[in-house]
Amino acid sequence: MSESNPHTPPVEPGPARRLDRLSVTGRATLAGAVAAVVLILAIVFGSRLLRDFDSALLPYAAASVFLVFGLVHRYTVWVSAPAARRLFKQGWRSFFSAENFRRAPTAVPRMIATYLGFQKFLGARSHGRWAAHQLIFWGCLLAAVITFPLTWGWFTFTSPTGPGPQYEWRMWGVKLLTFDSLSFFGWLLFHGLDIAAVLVIAGASYFLWRRMRDRGAMTGQRFAYDLLPLIALVVISVTGLLLTFSAIFLHGQGYEFLMVLHMISVVFTLIYLPFGKFFHIAQRPAAVGMQLFKYTARQDEKVFACRRCGVTVDTDAYVENLRGTMRDLRLDFDEWAEYCPRCKRVLRGSAYLENVKKGYK
Amino acid sequence: MMGRTIFIDPGRCIGCQACVSACRECDSHRGKSLIHLDYPQEGQSVAALPTVCMHCEDPVAPCAEVCPADAILVTADGVVQEADTTRCIGCANCVNACPFGVPKIDVTAKLQFKCNLCYDRTSYGLAPMCATVCPTGALFYGTVEELREERPGVQVVDEFTFGRSTVRTGVAMVVPAERARWPVPGGLPVVEVNGVDVR
Repeated sequence: MSESNPHTPPVEPGPARRLDRLSVTGRATLAGAVAAVVLILAIVFGSRLLRDFDSALLPYAAASVFLVFGLVHRYTVWVSAPAARRLFKQGWRSFFSAENFRRAPTAVPRMIATYLGFQKFLGARSHGRWAAHQLIFWGCLLAAVITFPLTWGWFTFTSPTGPGPQYEWRMWGVKLLTFDSLSFFGWLLFHGLDIAAVLVIAGASYFLWRRMRDRGAMTGQRFAYDLLPLIALVVISVTGLLLTFSAIFLHGQGYEFLMVLHMISVVFTLIYLPFGKFFHIAQRPAAVGMQLFKYTARQDEKVFACRRCGVTVDTDAYVENLRGTMRDLRLDFDEWAEYCPRCKRVLRGSAYLENVKKGYK
Repeated sequence: MMGRTIFIDPGRCIGCQACVSACRECDSHRGKSLIHLDYPQEGQSVAALPTVCMHCEDPVAPCAEVCPADAILVTADGVVQEADTTRCIGCANCVNACPFGVPKIDVTAKLQFKCNLCYDRTSYGLAPMCATVCPTGALFYGTVEELREERPGVQVVDEFTFGRSTVRTGVAMVVPAERARWPVPGGLPVVEVNGVDVR
């Protein structure tokens, strides 16, 4: 099933529009390149001029540089579209508003915790999906927190006593703590990625099962968009667990092959991340801005009532923001946004009844 | 207008709600009815108007254009899909921008719902649930030629005016022969007296 971009104009774009599109691409490429260079510098300096950099992890580090370029590029293109741009600005304006902070100091942390962390809205969709998504979310977060600093040479685990069991955990060369690798804490620290893999396998397996059983989920699903990300998560997690299995139970047999397989799956996923379903990881936090924008207006009871029936349409500021977006897009029926959906339908029905088929005869 | 699409004839609608019940049974949005059935002259006449997504073609899907999360995709066959659950942030831009009043929003779940032409059925050549059960043919699914085979001489229009704007849609409405050359009025501008809609 293919798709067409609704933002693509139906006619051949004029010179001004072509220039505008070029400038968005140019801006996005520049922003992506700057972010990639910043990350490279952070890797070089964070690893103490590559002294702590593990060259065996070079493919992971290179993929993360590409990931940052791709994410920033797509993000820039995304927030350049009229609707996203307006909401992006309003979100940040609400976020940095000193007045909003004075009136509701807990609003932002509460929204971040409930919306981004515990994703309460997913529970309203389905308890099973919420639980599975939480497993994937916390598993991936744990894996990212461990993996990225390691591949960038920011974290080091060294033993001053040779073979251990005492280990020093350093970040940017600065000692964070000393621990006993044979203790429970040491076990947790060295098996963090295994724990993450178990969480991700459980969550991703549920979603894969659902994608094969749930008729609603199957409608319009695409392999590259809906199934590939789940398969990639399972492959990464299983190959990661097999590395531990090989080290503990097989005395390292097959370790090198598994290492290459694991690396290929991780690198592929990092490169794929900005282009597919995983992009929602970058997109979703913007929704907090939208919530905040509506929340602050509701605090003032500045709601917009339908001009016909009086039912609440949305907040004043939000309706004005939407009308601005519609004007940006040359959707010249923006005044229609002042009516609730039901009144729009009833008014259209009345017009049909009176002007097209009088009395429906 | 799409080749095979829904043709709405409000003149045939008896307001029986069969389409509303059948829509709820659609596999792609189980338990939620996404078709609207309104009574424009409630208390005065039994006139009823069924509303499905009109799958706007020009401008292409205003709901998708105003979506800040790029959540609404338009498939190559012209069907405007409901919001992608991964992307939708529940902002309601689509709800308030749609000139036909089609999308619904679940504020708690932060998710939009709208008619997707029963894509699980129509992509396999089956008629949508609403058109399958409509007892009077107010909702007909097929090509315009198939419609005219059943109803010789019937005229349809796929353009709607909203003030100065015209929206061309994938779904069409049946009109009297003498009205076939003009777009169907979308309801704008409304008639107001002292700032109050009196229509």
